[in-house]
Amino acid sequence: MKKIITSLLVSSLLFNLSAQETSIDFVEFDLDNGMHVILHEDNSTPIVAVSVMYHVGSKNENPNRTGFAHFFEHLMFEGSENIERGEFDKYIERNGGTLNAYTSQDKTYYYEIFSSNNLELGLWLESERLLHAKVDNKGIETQREVVKEEKRQRVDNQPYGSFMAEAFDRLFQKHPYKWTPIGYMEHLDAAQEEDYVNFYKTFYVPANATLSIAGDINVEEAKVLIEKYFGSIPKGQAINLYRDYLNMNNETFKSTYGEDKSIFNKDNFFATTSKDGKALINKYKEIETVIPRPEIVEPPLEKEIVDTVYDNIQLPAVFIGYHSPAQNTKDAYALEMLNSIISGGTSARMNKNIVEEKELAVSAFSFAFPLEDPGMALFAGIASKDTDIEDLKKALDAEISTAKNELVTEKEFQKVKNQFENDFYSSNSSVAGKAEALANYHVYFNNTNLINEQLKVYEDITREDLKEVAQKYFKDNARLILYYLPK
Amino acid sequence: MKHIIIVILSLAITSLSFAQIDRSKAPVPGPAPEINIADPIVFDLDNGMKVILSTNNKIPKVSFNLVMGSDPRLEGEKAGLSDLMGDLLLSGTKNREKDQLDQEKDFIGASLFASSNSMYLSVLTKHMDKGLDLMTDVMKNANFPKAEFDRIKKQYESDLYAVKTDPNSMMSNAMYKTLFTEEHPYGEVMTEETLNNITREDVVDLYKKQYTPAGSYLVIVGDINEAEAKKVAEERFGDWEGGVPFEKEYNHGIQPKNNRVIFVEKPGAVQSVINIAFPIPMTPGDEDQIKLSVLNKLLGGGGFGTRLMQNLREDKAYTYGAYTQLNVRRQGSFMSASGNFRNEVTDSAIVQFLYEFQRITEAVPTEEELSLNKASMAGSFARRLESPRTIANFALNIHRNNLPKDYYQTYLKKLSNTSETDILEMAQKYITPNNLNIIVVGNKDVLEKLKQFDGDGEIEILDAFGNPSKEKSYLPADISKTEVLEKYLMAITGTSNMKKANKKLCKIKTIEKKAIIVPDQSPMELKMTTLYKAPNNSVTKMEFNGMVLQEEIINEDRGMSKTMSQQGGFETTHMTDDELKAELKTSAAFTEMALIKNIEDVELLGMEEIEDQTYYVLQYTFGKTTTTGYYNKTTGLKDRGTTLRVTDEGPQSISTKYSDYSKYNGYLLPNTTTQIVEAASMTSTLKEVKFNGKIDDKVFEIEESN
Repeated sequence: MKKIITSLLVSSLLFNLSAQETSIDFVEFDLDNGMHVILHEDNSTPIVAVSVMYHVGSKNENPNRTGFAHFFEHLMFEGSENIERGEFDKYIERNGGTLNAYTSQDKTYYYEIFSSNNLELGLWLESERLLHAKVDNKGIETQREVVKEEKRQRVDNQPYGSFMAEAFDRLFQKHPYKWTPIGYMEHLDAAQEEDYVNFYKTFYVPANATLSIAGDINVEEAKVLIEKYFGSIPKGQAINLYRDYLNMNNETFKSTYGEDKSIFNKDNFFATTSKDGKALINKYKEIETVIPRPEIVEPPLEKEIVDTVYDNIQLPAVFIGYHSPAQNTKDAYALEMLNSIISGGTSARMNKNIVEEKELAVSAFSFAFPLEDPGMALFAGIASKDTDIEDLKKALDAEISTAKNELVTEKEFQKVKNQFENDFYSSNSSVAGKAEALANYHVYFNNTNLINEQLKVYEDITREDLKEVAQKYFKDNARLILYYLPK
Repeated sequence: MKHIIIVILSLAITSLSFAQIDRSKAPVPGPAPEINIADPIVFDLDNGMKVILSTNNKIPKVSFNLVMGSDPRLEGEKAGLSDLMGDLLLSGTKNREKDQLDQEKDFIGASLFASSNSMYLSVLTKHMDKGLDLMTDVMKNANFPKAEFDRIKKQYESDLYAVKTDPNSMMSNAMYKTLFTEEHPYGEVMTEETLNNITREDVVDLYKKQYTPAGSYLVIVGDINEAEAKKVAEERFGDWEGGVPFEKEYNHGIQPKNNRVIFVEKPGAVQSVINIAFPIPMTPGDEDQIKLSVLNKLLGGGGFGTRLMQNLREDKAYTYGAYTQLNVRRQGSFMSASGNFRNEVTDSAIVQFLYEFQRITEAVPTEEELSLNKASMAGSFARRLESPRTIANFALNIHRNNLPKDYYQTYLKKLSNTSETDILEMAQKYITPNNLNIIVVGNKDVLEKLKQFDGDGEIEILDAFGNPSKEKSYLPADISKTEVLEKYLMAITGTSNMKKANKKLCKIKTIEKKAIIVPDQSPMELKMTTLYKAPNNSVTKMEFNGMVLQEEIINEDRGMSKTMSQQGGFETTHMTDDELKAELKTSAAFTEMALIKNIEDVELLGMEEIEDQTYYVLQYTFGKTTTTGYYNKTTGLKDRGTTLRVTDEGPQSISTKYSDYSKYNGYLLPNTTTQIVEAASMTSTLKEVKFNGKIDDKVFEIEESN
């Protein structure tokens, strides 16, 4: 058999941070096939977190297949060409590891954490998932029901559990943030085999994936293993040529590619020796992978929308929603600070004024969803017993109005910076947390080193910025007032 | 902020070559890294505090966890007191009002939490002094302002109101109450009523008792060295004073005699929350604990590969997740299996839970299954060591639960030594598949399908707080509660108005009843004698072959019961004043005569149809006993009754049927009385009744206790 010789790295950056205890050193580079790799070495505990972030979420879904990205995430545990159904988890458990995954509007994230001698196993598992995952009908039908149960458990059967779906649905008309990752039941029922095939071929390709590893590794050894398992995955559309070779019968394959399947090596597709086979593979390697991303810009709201949801609840609630800035903007940082002043901690304004002083709510909070495209900022309160929901709404409005009309105090401003400093250290205290944060910073901010510069970002923001951001986004005539009332 | 040197690495290696990958086989991991559990530093302060320190300077933060040394207390009519106290702790001190405390805490970005039993501060090392100012101020000087007390109480009222739609709170309430009963702090659940009973003085009093250095633990973790930690502990906590910690033992969970179905209605639910729970007789450090925890893991203790997950999720797709939990605590331990299931598969899911409980008690697991789960647990143990808190918590557990010093050092070895037969042995020792509490929170549409799982076919219905539900649907009654009782008294006296009835009832000075009791499952015959003397003296005696098995005597001043013990002697229990008071409320020739006098304690629930008859349903609670009587609308007679009694062994329910009413001296008495307790029943047949015979007062005498 031939040896595969591949050029390892297209580019490689090593951030060699000054040796302060608080900085997070990492290495990052792209593989030839476009996959981005981030490595962080931390030998203090003999464990390692292996993760892959796919830049696909519910916003990439077809509007009549909502919930698909998340459903697909479930299917990605069903096995591969080399992993039988039900075995994926077992490989990890058998070796003392843990695994999980989640799907948001913008991304799908998979990870395993185990003792550091299992790094290679983790790479094998994740590369199997990326290269040739396999799902049978039993798997599809089972996961379809499991996902529906997840929706019932997290959304339908929880008091106020549907607020996110209800609010996004009303605030967005065009942009796919209109629906949430869990999607609609009927769309889950409608999903067909070709949907899986297309989704896999479109989004589960190296150029759309970021491999982030943190923990007790040796960077140079890790690089070799990564090349072995991921570097060997071909670039461009060759991966889909290979997948079609696996999944199509000869007739379909031939009508699609004009060649017989038999021209390829049966045991090792990419080591195909026939001239025609090699040529086809090389041709498809050169066909670049283009990841479709929604370019829809949600038009601004032009009125105040008022609506009511009747739910199985006892205490009424009110949600006030606005369009918010995309997460990697200065506006988003300013809004994050403002939200913390309004609702972060017991001394924050909403808790002091609405919960403690006026006693109108059992809880009241404000936040913005951290999303890639402009998303939603929310003010919300759950009324205390016997409180008129209109009084609570007025109290929320009063906080919004203060934010728009008055500068936050110097003390509040300093407080939020101190809180963020504390949060920064807390969130980077585990290797799993660091692997995820590193991937996030790369995928959404295109600046992995933001993990070390995060606090600096806030230094450039002024109290005036906070007021401006409130005025810019909290518009009375462009918002949603959503009441939740008992059925 | 920091100087970042970015080095563009011009590649030393531009290409690599390696052997053909064989993807068909999973790579085999090399030897597992060695796990070292660092020894934490432990030292005592003069005031009785034990300090546990685990140093780690990975991030510039330090945390202080203060854990009190008292056992939990029963709160009874003030259930919820400790929650309230805990929530109020951060409401101000004699030095700082609440606003100031919140402000100072948030300003340094610190977290400060408090509960009735512990306080936790997490802070950047550079703000440690300030953080400790706040923590120790609360610890020593909390002052529970009246306004805050009132506010939190109102907040709790809202929270309790919201519980009625939160399936998880409803489940938790039902489960703890079922497992431990109200006789155990774990089984106490706050309701609007108990909240209302709590005063600010109660809170202050509990704080004084609970917050005391003696027996407490201070766990320090993070970016601080030993010398500093010692200095800080001494300076900040060394001068703290207080009383002795509270000590008390409770029941360790009640095992039901049969499978017991408990239902809590959540209107509009689209899923049933199912929880199957039972007590485990075990305290922390028990030699079986690690083996049993392997069983728990394998059955459903986390991960996707467990039996419950594979069966209920991966095979049948009934649920998003099904898990078991083994909860081992000093005051009572239990195991539970739970999950959320769509309404249609509620019963099918229970069948599978029961199947899995049964299966694990019948056969050893495979070697592969066992090793997978052991490996998973060993890995989980190793991962936990990433957090410096783990090491400190290990030390805390060792001290609090008197575990061997090397308990955690030897954990992995004991885990690895657990064998297939150990699992079967553990299953047979601790899991009793026919003595389970099957608790369901869900839509009432699923109720009918649950009957099949209950030992006696009678589902217990609880409200959101784990109390017997009163929300059974009754038809509105067409007469008053007094009229129901009067109708009964006229029926048994054979009179047409109350005047005549009273006249006849007043004539009763004594009654002597003799009956034969036959339990339905054994051929033995018991003799029961009941003596009554107006106004409220009574003796009930149960004999077998001339031997007294049980005797209960009540007179105006005292009450006692004697039960033959297994060794042949007698165990005598004297009633407390409260118990006697409750007894006397129903003491009369006919209970209904007493009830008419205490009519404010009686509730008419309404009318109910049972087996083609319509009944007026009356209910009253005296002490720990709740009695429900069913009075026939046509005859006026009492045909049925149920008694629910909270005992040390848990709630005991007795249902009674009265039939074959016959005349004795002009009074109607039921000749046949059938009582059902759990799944057993016994029938008593009246043999002899004597009215107004002479009864010696001596038989009602009770020696003063002690």
